Amino acid sequence: MFKAVTESARRIWGVTVLAVRASLRTKGVTALLVLLAVCVGVLPNVVKGDGTPEGELHILLAYTLGFAFGILCLATLWAACALFAAEIDSERMSLSAVKPVRAAEFWVGKWFALLLLNAALLLAVYAGVYAQVLWRMHRKGWEEADRPASRRVTRPELPTPREEARQTLELMRQKNLTPKGLAEKAILRTLEERAQDKYDVINPGEQVRWQFRLLRPLREGAPVTVRVTFDTEYSTREHVKGVCRLGCRERPGKTVEVALDDFTRNALEFVVDTRAFSQGSGGRGQESGGAGGALQNFELTFAHAGDPKKASALMVRFRQDVALLTPGGSFEANLARAACVHWGVLALLAAFGLTLSACFSLPVAAFVATVLLVLTLVGNSVAEVISEEDASLWQNRVGIWVSRGVHEASLRAMQAAPLTALTRGERIEGGVLGASLAWNGLLLPLCFAAAGCWVLRRREMADAG
Amino acid sequence: MEVEKVIETRGLRKTFRDFWRRPTVEAVKGLDFSVRQGEVFGMLGPNGSGKSTTLKMLLGLLHPTKGEIRVLGAAPSDTRVKARIGYLPEVSHLHPFLTPRETLMYYASLFGMAHGEAVRRTAELLSMVDLTQAADRAVGRFSKGMARRVGLAQALVNAPELLILDEPTSGLDPIGCREVKDLVCLLAKSGVTVLMTSHLLSDVEDVCDRVAILDRGALRAEGKIADLLRKPEAVRFLIEGLSSEAVAALRSEIEERAGCRVQLDYPAMSLESFFLQVVAQDGRLRTFEMAPFLRATQGTREGEGGACSKL
Ligand SMILES: Nc1ncnc2c1ncn2[C@@H]1O[C@H](COP(=O)(O)OP(=O)(O)OP(=O)(O)O)[C@@H](O)[C@H]1O
Ligand SMILES: [Mg+2]
Repeated sequence: MFKAVTESARRIWGVTVLAVRASLRTKGVTALLVLLAVCVGVLPNVVKGDGTPEGELHILLAYTLGFAFGILCLATLWAACALFAAEIDSERMSLSAVKPVRAAEFWVGKWFALLLLNAALLLAVYAGVYAQVLWRMHRKGWEEADRPASRRVTRPELPTPREEARQTLELMRQKNLTPKGLAEKAILRTLEERAQDKYDVINPGEQVRWQFRLLRPLREGAPVTVRVTFDTEYSTREHVKGVCRLGCRERPGKTVEVALDDFTRNALEFVVDTRAFSQGSGGRGQESGGAGGALQNFELTFAHAGDPKKASALMVRFRQDVALLTPGGSFEANLARAACVHWGVLALLAAFGLTLSACFSLPVAAFVATVLLVLTLVGNSVAEVISEEDASLWQNRVGIWVSRGVHEASLRAMQAAPLTALTRGERIEGGVLGASLAWNGLLLPLCFAAAGCWVLRRREMADAG
Repeated sequence: MEVEKVIETRGLRKTFRDFWRRPTVEAVKGLDFSVRQGEVFGMLGPNGSGKSTTLKMLLGLLHPTKGEIRVLGAAPSDTRVKARIGYLPEVSHLHPFLTPRETLMYYASLFGMAHGEAVRRTAELLSMVDLTQAADRAVGRFSKGMARRVGLAQALVNAPELLILDEPTSGLDPIGCREVKDLVCLLAKSGVTVLMTSHLLSDVEDVCDRVAILDRGALRAEGKIADLLRKPEAVRFLIEGLSSEAVAALRSEIEERAGCRVQLDYPAMSLESFFLQVVAQDGRLRTFEMAPFLRATQGTREGEGGACSKL
């Protein structure tokens, strides 16, 4: 048993080493390195930002990293497409296939090679970007507030989209408004999707209240950042005014009030010093239970104080646009987590390309891979258009299942958006990272591996035709 | 005593098809043959007669359209069987960016061999095929014969029980040819079963115990070379050092006694032997040494030396 495992490991490692050598000893890898070097070294120095530290960080973290990652994605996909196909097309596989190697060992060995190469390249890219961030910070003397951060995001406590969909359906039933000829499941699904991005309207004179419960209690004295993004009619923005009030349940009696009158950018962000909750009237003696203890439950109210005649309403998606940000780890750790998420996505692309590579010749595999990738990205908008009404024919049903399946799978694959988190200074939570790695780096590759090995076992390795 | 059959095929057929699954060539048409343990079996046939196709089916590289194959008692796709086979294809499809050393290490790793063992075998094989000098140059720039030697070495890295060689001498110079033949004989003596194809009839004649002749995918003749080639009505004496008078006397004596015609001929050296003799004067002909691990792992073959006794 043990002998079988070590022998298998040696075979896999042999395949990995060959694939790494095959990749490193081609001209393609030089081109890739040059492209990445240009992307990381030259691009951020050429693109002109707005001169603010925030703008520079955006260029580095969103554009540079995004570009480099895009290049790595395509390179990984095409390299994966080549790994089996080139070997089979040139009949080199016939020499390896007569050796006692299982299809899965070939597949996993080549996949590991891509994982290793990607890890090295990602490390170089991220290190390059990080070095540039440090250099800029040092050279331009950015202030503490401008430096890149890692903050935990807490969103308001609201009913889940599903609960909200149920409530809405119940209301529709009472008013006899349910659409005819549609299954309840279909209506619920639509309602749930709408609840996720639903805009709520805050009219002048109105006030809304949100409750927050932090995942980890906050020590007193740590800053809390309030962030609200919104939409409003552009021409009347200057007349919009508002008052935000932040309170903490552990320190009752004292709230921090902030008057807001600049709504010209569609985001509000301000920092509240939590020491303010224990000062002044609230003082110690009065509320002995919580004094000095950690803060966890917050309440935010927003009052639209604009002139009802001139100012227009604010539109806010409660589930996405309102957040409390609290300190959570270092920027470096967050950068590392972002790299891990990217690594997972590359592992998925490698698995996808490898399986196509086992099925087709190199040009066909590369073409199919690229087209499918584009279709998946575009298909996310298509899948939303497909409605249940067309599901009468079985072909349509199959089509809906497939497109939904691909839609769901790709949504999950891209769920952790590491670059958005990095540029916004939001912490990528361990759970999100774990889920993303498990899905992209394990579960989906396993499915692709199963399909790839099935094909490899059945293919004639000597038949180049 | 029933000798174990290492390879056995029954009704083996292979029809190649195009993209639309329409049959294009019937490369092998109902082949029955078997190779016994420890023998050197030669497969002869004109171009396109289906020799390589047959070998590839034996190795599981092509799936037969019909028929049955047993190799070392199992189906060709069985990985345990694959561990006991060595294969040299018609064209050594090597990875051009690897050096011979890396190539051999790679194929050794595919057998799950430990690193130390792989290093040892690689060194021994490289010295056996006379490539130690070129061991760290990329194979892609090798001459045809050098690449062939690397191919041969990789076929032996697992010390196989069954060696399948597709035209092993193609592209080799006479020294290389001779070494391959020596090697086949030495391996056969140590108990390895060898199945080889070749166009060079002299090669087959020199090393094979039995041959099969294929034509257009079908078996035309099969048997021991000695049996196939025997001319029962003629006999040949080979005598060295007779004077011409003695020859004339002997001839008239036999003609008189037996009452039949005697034909005289003076055997010349073969071109191969002459070439080897000339090259040997330069000191270029090295003594061929089989890799020690190949000697160590095999038992010794009992019985006669087969066709190899001629070499
Ligand atoms: N992959 C393939 N697809 C289609 N036809 C093939 C394929 N491989 C071989 N053939 C055909 O099968 C027939 C037998 O080919 P094969 O290579 O077995 O001949 P061979 O006896 O080895 O010839 P040679 O002595 O030239 O090596 C030929 O007609 C060849 O064209
Ligand atoms: Mg051939």
